[in-house]
Amino acid sequence: MKPPDIEAVGITKTFGALKAVDNVSLHLPPGVFHALLGENGAGKSTLVKCLMGFYPADQGVVKVNGEPLRVGSPKEARRHGIGMVFQHFTLVPSMTVAENLVLARPDLPMVIDWKAERVRLAEFLKQAPFHVDPDSRISTLSAGQKQKVEILKELYLETRFLILDEPTSVLTPQEADEVLGLLRRMVDRGELSVLLITHKFREVFAFCDGVTVLRRGKQAGAGRTADLDSARMAEMMMGEARAERKVGKTRSPGGPVLYLDGIGAVGDSGVEAVKEVRLTVREGEIVGIAGVSGNGQRELLEAIAGQREMTAGAITVDGERHLPTREMLLQHRFFILPEEPLRNASAPRMSVAENIAFRLFDRPPFQKFGFLLDRKAIADFGREMIRKFSVRPPEGELAIGDLSGGNVQRAILARELSSGKVRVLVAANPCFGLDFKAVDFIHDQLLQARNDGAAVLLISEDLDELLELADRIFVMSEGKLVFETTPEAADLALIGRQMAGQRV
Amino acid sequence: MQLPPESLGGWGLVVALCGGAMRGSIPYMFVSLGECLTEKSGKINLGMEGVLLMGAMTAFGVSDLTGSPWLGVLAAAAAGLLLGALHAWMTQQPAVNDVAAGIAMILFGSGLAFFFGKRFVAPMAPQLPLLNLGGWSHTPAVASALRISPLFFVGIALSFLLHWVFTRTRWGLQIRATGDDPQAARALGIDVNRVRFFAITAGGGLAAIGGAHLTLYFPGIWSEGISGGQGLMAVALVIFARWSPRRCLAAALLFGGAQALGPSLQSLGINGYYHLFNASPYLLTLAVMIATCSPNRSLTGMPGALGKK
Amino acid sequence: MKLKGPDLFVPLGAVAAAMLVFGVFCAALGVNPLGVYASLWKAGFGSWYSWQNTLVRASPLLLCGLCTALPARAGIIVIGNEGAVVVGGLGAITAGLSTAQMPSLVSLTFMVLAAMLCGGLWIAFSVALQHYRGVSAVISGLLLNYLAIALMNQLIEGPLRDPSSFNSPATFPLPLDHRLGFFSGTHVHHGLLFGVIGCLVAWFLVERTTFGFSMKVAGGNVRTAKLVGLPVGRLVVMAGFLGGACAGIAGMVEVAAVHGRGNESLNAGYGYTGILVAFLARQSPLGVMLFSVLVGGLVAGSGMLQRAHDLPDATITVLEGTLFLFILLSDTVYGRLKIPGGKANAVAA
Repeated sequence: MKPPDIEAVGITKTFGALKAVDNVSLHLPPGVFHALLGENGAGKSTLVKCLMGFYPADQGVVKVNGEPLRVGSPKEARRHGIGMVFQHFTLVPSMTVAENLVLARPDLPMVIDWKAERVRLAEFLKQAPFHVDPDSRISTLSAGQKQKVEILKELYLETRFLILDEPTSVLTPQEADEVLGLLRRMVDRGELSVLLITHKFREVFAFCDGVTVLRRGKQAGAGRTADLDSARMAEMMMGEARAERKVGKTRSPGGPVLYLDGIGAVGDSGVEAVKEVRLTVREGEIVGIAGVSGNGQRELLEAIAGQREMTAGAITVDGERHLPTREMLLQHRFFILPEEPLRNASAPRMSVAENIAFRLFDRPPFQKFGFLLDRKAIADFGREMIRKFSVRPPEGELAIGDLSGGNVQRAILARELSSGKVRVLVAANPCFGLDFKAVDFIHDQLLQARNDGAAVLLISEDLDELLELADRIFVMSEGKLVFETTPEAADLALIGRQMAGQRV
Repeated sequence: MQLPPESLGGWGLVVALCGGAMRGSIPYMFVSLGECLTEKSGKINLGMEGVLLMGAMTAFGVSDLTGSPWLGVLAAAAAGLLLGALHAWMTQQPAVNDVAAGIAMILFGSGLAFFFGKRFVAPMAPQLPLLNLGGWSHTPAVASALRISPLFFVGIALSFLLHWVFTRTRWGLQIRATGDDPQAARALGIDVNRVRFFAITAGGGLAAIGGAHLTLYFPGIWSEGISGGQGLMAVALVIFARWSPRRCLAAALLFGGAQALGPSLQSLGINGYYHLFNASPYLLTLAVMIATCSPNRSLTGMPGALGKK
Repeated sequence: MKLKGPDLFVPLGAVAAAMLVFGVFCAALGVNPLGVYASLWKAGFGSWYSWQNTLVRASPLLLCGLCTALPARAGIIVIGNEGAVVVGGLGAITAGLSTAQMPSLVSLTFMVLAAMLCGGLWIAFSVALQHYRGVSAVISGLLLNYLAIALMNQLIEGPLRDPSSFNSPATFPLPLDHRLGFFSGTHVHHGLLFGVIGCLVAWFLVERTTFGFSMKVAGGNVRTAKLVGLPVGRLVVMAGFLGGACAGIAGMVEVAAVHGRGNESLNAGYGYTGILVAFLARQSPLGVMLFSVLVGGLVAGSGMLQRAHDLPDATITVLEGTLFLFILLSDTVYGRLKIPGGKANAVAA
């Protein structure tokens, strides 16, 4: 079966007041490797879901081999050999690789003949581009292996037009090159077409024939990669050149403040997830922790934040032992910005003003006579902070769960950064899923805190973010800090190998 | 069943306990298998106590009215299916929490059972025939312990059947996928709501058969206290059994044995602390829960979506 | 949080819908639903006399409702109310009998304290199991109900038994002047005061104190509460203790005002009905006051249904179950009423 010819003409899709995709056209003849490039929120996912027939476009048509695609049935896309690997995994964690592949078969009989299925699987795996043990349970695989299984699943279903949604965000640079390289070879053999959603220029130039750039839902440009350079592509993606950073680094680091002394923690499945993490953050310094998702970063943050039991080690601030109690958090002026703030740092059904008061509600002026709550003071303070941090909509009484992701992050930032002078700030993926205006705002706030003398620990899966902000960078792999470097001396290939746990 | 086992000495207690385990395990077996099926799809049905009572009352009533205990069992299953379907529908509404819905279903199911149960004034309904496997023994205690309800064997067969379904059939894999990661299941083209509706409904039907055993086995009477929390304990038992149908079977036997402890001791003439001995299944359940649960890690075998909205 | 219109209308709408479905149920059984409604109204709210009946029923419900509502604010569903009532009653009778020689007021104070301690520890235990061991408080609470009843039976047939209570085992009675009195000219006992005061104090605690605010943060999101350094374990166990103490007082009131001794009537189902009250009230202490009276009226009407329509007393349980289902469904409706498309941006991003 040959890859299908796919053509989208004038696709427009709106959600409420938001035009997510605005008059975008795209033609992909069989056997191409095409990139869909754009910032977060540029409309890439929405466009692709229209291509898949997940939901109908408000205007425009999608044609497969010249015929219009029927909408609303993933099976229809499947029939044409169109398949997609999503950003989040769609594998069933408690099942084996074999069970996952077999379950995905659309013509699976009611009673499964495992002997026959295994023979088929073995044959498929023999000529598959990567190797995975069919009997291993998904929950025991690394993120990179899971990504490979996702792609194998699509190939097993005889997908000839493969859409990959930011597939390399969970892979080390080496793994990314391996996976994309093997797919490139299948494209070269004419067995496959690939549409790669990404925001990484490097991948576009290394693997793709052509590119379509989206900006705020509109088609900002398109062309053959051979005819483009990265400056031109950046201009298409960002529009006007990006505003210069307002806040620069204005000071150099001082004496040590935060010391993590051999921290250990156990993950949800009961295995040791954080092993003897030891590092110092100095006054006026941002220390970054890089790593592929799932290497203990989340557990480390939770242990520091008091959300997870620390099984070993201790935290000291300015030479004093720190425990996550209200007294010590206040005394050490210790603040935390976890990832997914709605889930980790807010009470979704309480109001924005109340959420902003979580750090201070039991101190005067919010508390009176030792036990009474001054609700007016909370509302007033909330209003002030909402104005200062431009939270939209500016209504303190709204439940924080009804705000958009960027505004939740702003409200939490308001709470963590306005409760007094910050001594220690620990942040984890603070910009995940935000548009670049919000990202700039948050980066400015982190640098501002640094310049004001805070010790900042920034845990991030986005290496570019760390290279831009950090003074020193550690790499975390399998729960351990395995490598230390500075942005100036950083060797990307070496960092990548360290992330993958390959000692050199 | 209180035969004088003194002649057997210490063995008397063992025989009485084993017999009691085989009798008493039946409701636990059916309810825990029903709950296992439900939870494998990622939802909890805490309302099994209500389902058990409805099953018991319906089986009694239909057996009394038609004279056929097997019709009673079928009717109980049908009543369980209806309650299961109601629970399934409720828990799929946005903003309805499974746990709260379960509490409501306990109240609703037991209310209906008590309401309709009031009409059945018959002292006894026709009971299920027993299989007499102890004919070879000349000891009356052994012989009586081996007079076993056919539902016991149905339950055993069901637990193996369910295991087979979960590992070897499309539906089984789809239920497991739904319960472990509904988002992944949706991406596989599985209709998550339909799978859950089916699993929860069928789970209710299975559990209600356990209720039928309560009223269609000696002494074959219906009373409002007849279930005594067994529906709820069976829910705890599924956690203990780590969501495996075959381990549910073993756990049900253990619980059946614990339940037989009070009456067995009484039959040996030990009467002190009668109420406390009768409470031993509750204590056992609590102890088992404390031993198996853990506050900050997910339990092995637990369907990933369980307890998440 | 201000009480907004839908906070009141949605649960009342659910009550109306449940009554309607219950009417259809009655009609299907050949009983005129209008007659049933009329009987319920007459028995619960039709006259000063029936109001008194309703208030007598409402007084344990106020306290049992708080037993679920208070821990719910800290994020834990407690349904061990019945057990807490029973152990509270047992604690009260034990304290009352051992202080029988002391002045009445002293003895009653001891009874209240003992009941609060027993009920409070009972629920606190179940909540602590959930928080520290991951054992669902729903399951442990129901198991503890059965254990409390076994304990009660053991005690009233054993160490606490009055030998003269032959057919229905009971403890020795409290001296007559060591019991709670009645509001003058009524048969409403002073236990009602405990309930009303309990609800007002609980409201104040939840809405106006820093402790209540901490509790709500813990209930709103445990992870956030830990992040901002709140002692979550202490908070939820304390909330459980306070709730259990309320249910314990309900047991004390049953002992000291209604029965005058400890007997099987302690296990009268007020605990279970209290759960319904708390959910109807959306876990708000002031709501508990309103819905205790409403549900108390329904309970008071159950005898009337039996006499006037030949319906069994379980009829009210069916109505209660229906009410419970509808109040849960009303949350769905409430969600749909709220933000029309307010999350559109979040979805697209």
